[in-house]
Amino acid sequence: MLRSLLVPRAAARSAFKKSSSLPAVIAPSSIARWSRRGYATEAEEKDLVIIGGGVAGYVAAIKAGQEGMKVTCIEKRGTLGGTCLNVGCIPSKALLNNSHLYHQILHDTKARGIDVGDVKLNLAQMMKSKDTAVSGLTKGVEFLFKKNGVEYVKGTASFAGEHEIKVNLTEGGEKTIIGKNILIATGSEATPFPGLEIDEKRIITSTGAIALDKVPESMVVIGGGIIGLEMGSVWSRLGSKVTVVEFLGQIGGPGMDAEISKAAQKILKKQGIDFKLNTKVLGGDATGDKIKLEVEAAKGGKKETLDADVVLVAIGRRPYTAGLGLENVGLETDEKGRLVIDHEFRTKLPHIRVVGDCTFGPMLAHKAEEEAVAVVEWIKKGYGHVNYGAIPSVMYTHPEVAWVGQNEQEVKASGVEYKIGTFPFSANSRAKTNLDTEGFVKMIADAKTDRILGIHIIGPNAGEMIAEGTLALEYGASTEDIGRTSHAHPTLAEAFKEAAMATYGKAIHF
Amino acid sequence: MASFANACRLSARLTARQLRQDAAARGFRSSAKVMAAQNFTMPALSPTMTEGNIAKWNVKEGDSFSAGDVLLEIETDKASMDVEAQDDGIMAKITQGDGTKGIQVGSRIAVIAESGDDLSTLEIPAEEKEAAPSPKKEASTPKSESSSESQTEATPTPSSSASSEASAKPAGKPKKQTYPLLPSVGHLMKEHGIEESAIEKMSPSGPNGRLLKGDVLAYLGSISSSYPAELSSKIEKLTHLDLSNIKVAASAPAPAPKPKPAESIPEPVIPQESEIAVPISMQAVLDVQKRIQSTLGVFMPLSTFIARATDVANDNLPRSKTQAATADELFNQVLGLDTVTTSAGVRGTFLPQITALPSADPSAPVKPAKQLDIIDILSRKTRSTSSGLASKPLPGLSNSVNVFSVKVPKGDEKRAQVFLDRVKSVLEAEPGRLVL
Ligand SMILES: Cc1cc2nc3c(=O)[nH]c(=O)nc-3n(C[C@H](O)[C@H](O)[C@H](O)COP(=O)(O)OP(=O)(O)OC[C@H]3O[C@@H](n4cnc5c(N)ncnc54)[C@H](O)[C@@H]3O)c2cc1C
Repeated sequence: MLRSLLVPRAAARSAFKKSSSLPAVIAPSSIARWSRRGYATEAEEKDLVIIGGGVAGYVAAIKAGQEGMKVTCIEKRGTLGGTCLNVGCIPSKALLNNSHLYHQILHDTKARGIDVGDVKLNLAQMMKSKDTAVSGLTKGVEFLFKKNGVEYVKGTASFAGEHEIKVNLTEGGEKTIIGKNILIATGSEATPFPGLEIDEKRIITSTGAIALDKVPESMVVIGGGIIGLEMGSVWSRLGSKVTVVEFLGQIGGPGMDAEISKAAQKILKKQGIDFKLNTKVLGGDATGDKIKLEVEAAKGGKKETLDADVVLVAIGRRPYTAGLGLENVGLETDEKGRLVIDHEFRTKLPHIRVVGDCTFGPMLAHKAEEEAVAVVEWIKKGYGHVNYGAIPSVMYTHPEVAWVGQNEQEVKASGVEYKIGTFPFSANSRAKTNLDTEGFVKMIADAKTDRILGIHIIGPNAGEMIAEGTLALEYGASTEDIGRTSHAHPTLAEAFKEAAMATYGKAIHF
Repeated sequence: MASFANACRLSARLTARQLRQDAAARGFRSSAKVMAAQNFTMPALSPTMTEGNIAKWNVKEGDSFSAGDVLLEIETDKASMDVEAQDDGIMAKITQGDGTKGIQVGSRIAVIAESGDDLSTLEIPAEEKEAAPSPKKEASTPKSESSSESQTEATPTPSSSASSEASAKPAGKPKKQTYPLLPSVGHLMKEHGIEESAIEKMSPSGPNGRLLKGDVLAYLGSISSSYPAELSSKIEKLTHLDLSNIKVAASAPAPAPKPKPAESIPEPVIPQESEIAVPISMQAVLDVQKRIQSTLGVFMPLSTFIARATDVANDNLPRSKTQAATADELFNQVLGLDTVTTSAGVRGTFLPQITALPSADPSAPVKPAKQLDIIDILSRKTRSTSSGLASKPLPGLSNSVNVFSVKVPKGDEKRAQVFLDRVKSVLEAEPGRLVL
């Protein structure tokens, strides 16, 4: 039998030199290239190498894949999705949702005509259900990588050169990847509290707070921002005595509208969370059975000691760039550790760009996502856009708090004359039907033009409702535009419309 | 999470709406027999654009185009942009040629017909514009006679620009606001009896040139005319990250000696295609062919044998490596379930290329070096020893050995090999079964 041949087409011609059907010309250059390739051992060059597989990194990777770029994403965690999917947004919301259900069954369903017998918390199962949600989503991202042709490298990346990334592979060994463009998306980490050593068992960050193996009797939360209040809510609902210590005079962080913040505090207080505002934590002692925290009024004054089984440190997050070898390529950070960029997300080496939590702007997953898409468009098309004036914020307590645009403090400070319209959920038919009537919608509009400047909601489903506000802001709408748009009845969203009507005219139902 | 794939295309995608508007307008005028075309007007490529120049048409009169084709390039003082077709169609007539300058947004630059329209019976619609002064040469278009029905029936004469001028008609109003007006804007205008045409005189201050309630209030004089723009610029500032006054952290350890930037950028990958070739003897086929002719008196062309062999061999081939895996398969991979799948075969679409070898020397050329090292083969100077046969095509099939070959993307060699082996075995072993 004759042997059959398996040869690339160029070689086929020389083998069958007498045949006629094969191409007659092959450029010498391509032959040269072939031979060079044949022996090449150097790392292959990618169009884009992304360091970090969090929301910023993975969205950029998928987008770049869709744009036909050769892209590699390096992640050291072992799973994709970063803080958000693994230890942030997703697990915290899983626990918030399930702890709310539990709390409702304990305290609320009876009044609704649902008698539930023996209610018991199975914390291990609650954690398992959270883990199922997380692993489903991180695997989903991995699937999207495959679907969009993104190479996923598991390991820790550092700069070896301006285009050269060294990866310490998780499975052992090393690898060098060359990138025409490099995107840093290494995210953030919890800011530690000086003097309190995090062990994630008794002195914990949010990462420990989503994984406690028993409900602590008492918990002190240092920092009354969104993460602190969300995690505080979870453990309070599950039975902990929670005290929130906040240095500022309001909870929810400086972005939250003061009026809304006050309302939120009142409601959470009713739910059993204690607040100590304008209070500074001086230090702590974790040697005993209980952790002892020394606190004093922020403006000086009486000291006090708080006892707690668990202390949650939630004083904010800081950019994470450790081990990245920034010094090897001379990249700069600012005083807060944020990588310095320009409006096209470029560092001073223009082929190295940065998006997400490790640079400027609010540390939010959807902000990271917007930037990820924009940065790929900058690289690919030379134009990208993120509207930082219309990025919503949501706190997933019950009721939820959500806002977009400027709050009243900010508008006042800017000197613009403004009008305010509010509508309470207690006057909304759906909220009343649901026996879930806490909170209100507040709109702030320019006094002369009625253009919306900010929308703030505390109430059931605020997080979903804010999408309409974001769209309105994006389109430059006036409150009248919302007021003249039909909203289904009976829905909570009618409160949104009525608040708009109250701003430029009068609400119907209040 | 969401995707923002098309967030910022530079190409104008305005044509669809134009088409729809124009199509609606044409409903009033077109007669049953004569297909009407649609005016294609100068699009506004940015909120501030009022006029533009035609750099170049990419289609000629009579050309068909499909959605997404670039019809022309437009220049403004700021940029030049491609205008894409939103629907399929035919370029019936170009009324403003390459290089025309200063064309007002909304004035006609061409007439387009729907795919399949017969250009010879096509009715060229009147130009729908008024107030907006058209390019200089059309400035004197007589308005008074324009509403008469008869003019719209004029048949086109391909190159006459006069006809379009004559049929010019101030029917619709130019709308800078190409999207529906905001509810507040519409309401205010009704309330104050403002004509829609007055929109021309308002200055939109919203994102992307959107006309806002405040702009109407400013037009009405209820608020200062400059206020909406001032407010907009304040809001605009908030849309950017504040990157001023960055306090750079004191640089920590002295930067290591700057590594050299990676110099060598690898060459672009040459398309990786392999050719798989199998020599197949046609002797058995020829025997069968002869037998059929002598017993049945039917001549079976060789091509029939080959076509049937190909058909049989294509059945149930291993899956192509280059074929994208399905979503389910990818997900199974992520979950580590891919090892248990028993992937069923897939039908191939191979069509072998057949090259006759000279009968005198049937086997020699197909036995090259045992080790198929690409580099070796490429570096051998085989071409210079070519006997010249290569340039002399051998027509048809040789009756002894022919080389059957297929080209496949890298990675699919195995699949092609299976295919060719099957062709070989049916043709050499039992070709009779192919036709009986
Ligand atoms: C408890 C909690 C709740 C939150 N809830 C919300 C919420 O409800 N909504 C919201 O919008 N945001 C929320 N956030 C914030 C959100 O998680 C972040 O904004 C988001 O994850 C930022 O994405 P990123 O990609 O920039 O960074 P990250 O998600 O932090 O991802 C960075 C990734 O890079 C990897 N990495 C770092 N260095 C290297 C290296 N050298 N080599 C390889 N890999 C590296 C890290 O392992 C990490 O996985 C929450 C955060 C927390 C902590």
